[in-house]
Amino acid sequence: MRYRLGIIAALAAGLATFVAPVSAHHSFAAEFDGSKAIRLVGALTKVDWSNPHTYFYLDVKDDKGKTTNWACEGGGPGALSRRGLKKGDLKLGDTIVVDGYRAKDGSNLVDARRVTLPDGRSIYGGSPGDGGPGDTGQ
Amino acid sequence: MSLSLFEFCQWLNDTGPAAALRESTIVFPIVESIHTLAITLVVGTVAMVDLRLLGIVLKKEPVSKVAGQILPLTWVGFGVMLVSGLMLFAAEAEKCYHNPAFRLKLILLALVGLNPLVFHFTIFRSVDRWDEAPRTPGRARLAAVLSLTLWSGIIVAGRAIAYFK
Repeated sequence: MRYRLGIIAALAAGLATFVAPVSAHHSFAAEFDGSKAIRLVGALTKVDWSNPHTYFYLDVKDDKGKTTNWACEGGGPGALSRRGLKKGDLKLGDTIVVDGYRAKDGSNLVDARRVTLPDGRSIYGGSPGDGGPGDTGQ
Repeated sequence: MSLSLFEFCQWLNDTGPAAALRESTIVFPIVESIHTLAITLVVGTVAMVDLRLLGIVLKKEPVSKVAGQILPLTWVGFGVMLVSGLMLFAAEAEKCYHNPAFRLKLILLALVGLNPLVFHFTIFRSVDRWDEAPRTPGRARLAAVLSLTLWSGIIVAGRAIAYFK
């Protein structure tokens, strides 16, 4: 009987582990490196205002004048809207400043922790509850 | 005109309702939550029947009685799970096409559908002979173990979709 209860407890624990973190979608640490901070300044080329994460893309020029397109991952439309950032606030061609962290796989992808718009407004861009730098769960 | 599977996913991804759901402020997380709750109903009820077949719970109840009372609830959950799942898929169809976890989940879903089909048309036909038995025949117990394993795999694969680009 104790053996059977053990099986049931193990199954239940296994299920609970994988069902619980729906709101977090995936954690910061699953994809990004908290030790690789980066600031990107560039022109906005594309916006995917999408669940469960938004993506926007910047053309960033380096010291040698070479332009690279970077993908920036942010919280979903719900989280960003609550912080006052609306879809229409991101205009193609605008120069945006993104403070974030690079992807672990070394690709041109950052987690956008802070987004600064041309009008000076600065918005926290992380996914709520992802456990990354600056996360308050909101 | 022939449409490849990927082109179909692109088309679905770009339809109005799919885009609206993808770009929604609160509807997407609500559908996500409903999908998760429906999974708990489906897998929770299926697990009760599987555990009865394994002789772990409700040992004194006839198998047919347990299945008859519980499985209608499974079908309710299945309907909600399917509709909400199709909505979430439509919203992310293009991403899902390339996602290895999503592909694995579809394969496991096909297998988990096949399992009860085989069960019902083979060993369950002789249920009258072992209905009251605490421990059911080997093939019935095998079906129960397969069901529990596959459903666990589906939940893990579904969760893993978020960890692939």
